[in-house]
Amino acid sequence: MFDELKTLCELNGTSGDESRVRNYIETHINADKITTDPLGNLLVFKKGRKTPDKKIMFAAHMDEVGFIITDVSENGFLSFGAVGGINPSVVLGRALCVDNKAFGIVGTKAVHQQSKEERGKIPPFDEMYIDVGGNVDISRGSFAYFDTDFFRFGDGFIKGKAIDDRAGCLIMMDMINGEPEYDAWYAFTVQEEIGTRGSKTAAFTIAPDAAIVLETTTACDAAGVSGSKKVCELGKGAVVSYMDKRTIYDRELYSLAFKTAEENGIPVQTKTLVAGGNDSGSIHISRGGVRTCAVSVPCRNLHSPSCVIKESDYFAVKKLAEKMLSAVAEI
Amino acid sequence: MNIKSLLKTMTEKVGVSGNEFAASNAAAELLKQYAEDVNVDAFGNVTGFVKSGRADAKTLMLDAHIDQVGYIVTNIDENGFISVGTCGSPDVKTILAQSVTVHGKKDIQGVVSTLPPHVLKSESAPKAEEISIDVGMNKAQVMEIVSLGDFVTVNSAFRELAGNVISAPAVDDRSGVCAILSALDMLKGKKMAYNIAVSFSAQEETGERGATQTAFRIAPDECIAVDVSFGRTPDSSPKETAELGSGVMIGYSPSLDSGMSNSLRALARNKNIAFTEEVMPGSTGTNADAIGVSGAGVKCCTLSFPIRYMHTPVECVDLGDVELTARLICEYALGGADDV
Repeated sequence: MFDELKTLCELNGTSGDESRVRNYIETHINADKITTDPLGNLLVFKKGRKTPDKKIMFAAHMDEVGFIITDVSENGFLSFGAVGGINPSVVLGRALCVDNKAFGIVGTKAVHQQSKEERGKIPPFDEMYIDVGGNVDISRGSFAYFDTDFFRFGDGFIKGKAIDDRAGCLIMMDMINGEPEYDAWYAFTVQEEIGTRGSKTAAFTIAPDAAIVLETTTACDAAGVSGSKKVCELGKGAVVSYMDKRTIYDRELYSLAFKTAEENGIPVQTKTLVAGGNDSGSIHISRGGVRTCAVSVPCRNLHSPSCVIKESDYFAVKKLAEKMLSAVAEI
Repeated sequence: MNIKSLLKTMTEKVGVSGNEFAASNAAAELLKQYAEDVNVDAFGNVTGFVKSGRADAKTLMLDAHIDQVGYIVTNIDENGFISVGTCGSPDVKTILAQSVTVHGKKDIQGVVSTLPPHVLKSESAPKAEEISIDVGMNKAQVMEIVSLGDFVTVNSAFRELAGNVISAPAVDDRSGVCAILSALDMLKGKKMAYNIAVSFSAQEETGERGATQTAFRIAPDECIAVDVSFGRTPDSSPKETAELGSGVMIGYSPSLDSGMSNSLRALARNKNIAFTEEVMPGSTGTNADAIGVSGAGVKCCTLSFPIRYMHTPVECVDLGDVELTARLICEYALGGADDV
């Protein structure tokens, strides 16, 4: 799983630039029907042993947060904006990969030359620049990505960029390549990070009765954070949400997820704060409405070059996703 | 000598102020190709000597510091998260969500925590005491590997940018070490005017401590301190910075020997070596400050080259500037300054 996730996460694919990820997934799944819709969503159908009386859709987004070049100066300094919600503090002092062909550095003048006020303040993106060293053929509208390491560390933890939501993509790929119990649709969506846009058209086209969104979600179990502010914790299993900023989840599916987890000995938790949002937001109000559930891998430092997940949580989400296919089919 | 591969070798070694040995030992091995009596002392300083063959030759000390900025472990909390203090003055603003290596009983990987919006107190930059490193282990597991006082470095890589620009950690001042090694390579087999004493000194970033020791032991007649200076960025003042690729920076300062500064400038002009003057109104903020007042006093000058993003893991240098610095050192050691 580690090597596959690493390969998937190291592909650069921010919102609007998902083709590398889509091509990789398309060539690494064994499905019964694969189509790419006008926005770039990869819509996949896989037959199972049985055909349920309702249409079930899984969804995970292919895009990651990244950057877009807004201006190019002659001496190799590029202006840029963030694609998706990135805190400027995780961008300073980093190397980026620009347009998949050049390295660029984001920095400021030397710490020695900063005033006290400047030292205490993270500049906004419109005051930052990407330094590519000299003249490089980069156009406005090109994309840039964190160029960072991907590794396993500590007691079963994994660090890297784009784990949000390539983890969900990998689980769906494994489900497709396995022997699923029931027929299902799998939507590998685009543009989640800029407003859950791809899932809107994916859900329209597939027109499911029920949807299970596989995601990563913010865990804030960091030093000095206690109680409900942790939101959820690594090592405590799959996260099933009752509500976030975009969705109040189907109560029956929410309860079913917990029941299914308990029956199968899968560790499961919920969020202790109404925060975040994902593709469920557009899926559950698609067409005449879709009963929707989200199962997520808890993730520290979301939307940074250092997303951190725990392997055991990933496997809990994977197992729960597989079991939920049958459980939802049998409602 | 290929400066690029030399810089790659030297920037891949770790040597935070206070524990420079991995970098010092690597530099000592390289220095042995050119120098005699190469030694790494208990402090982490590297010294070595190249004789000119002339009986009346003065001793010219060539110094670059071997240490790099980093962090030091100050606490391990009940959940295994690690707190750190700074060694030297790394740009703490750049630390959030960086991957790091904790150099404990063995090297372990970790990540600097960053908090999501619902608990982030403000948009202000993090302070050193707020840094928390997640190594994915509980306290007991961490304590088996990590002790207070262990060093931490931010992970980064050697990257080639456009032009002749390299981005890597510890360019400050391993590129200075490379400039000196490269100068020695150029001098190989040539008749020098000076006996050369090389000092790759420890703990510059924490207050020029290593150079204080090597300068005392060597007691040179003159010294060229090679260090990095401020490269121009869009947000910096043109008066306080030099463009990458503009050549070697010759130091002018009340604390430096103006005769040496003038000689080096005349020599650079004579040999068509691109240069700028780096004027520092007080002291220089380099090892020259300590070396100049060592023993009965040492005539000093600084040779620098501009780098961008100093004290971050992605420092950028133009290899051409490093090579021009090496050339000017070489010409000076050959006695060229006496002819101009």
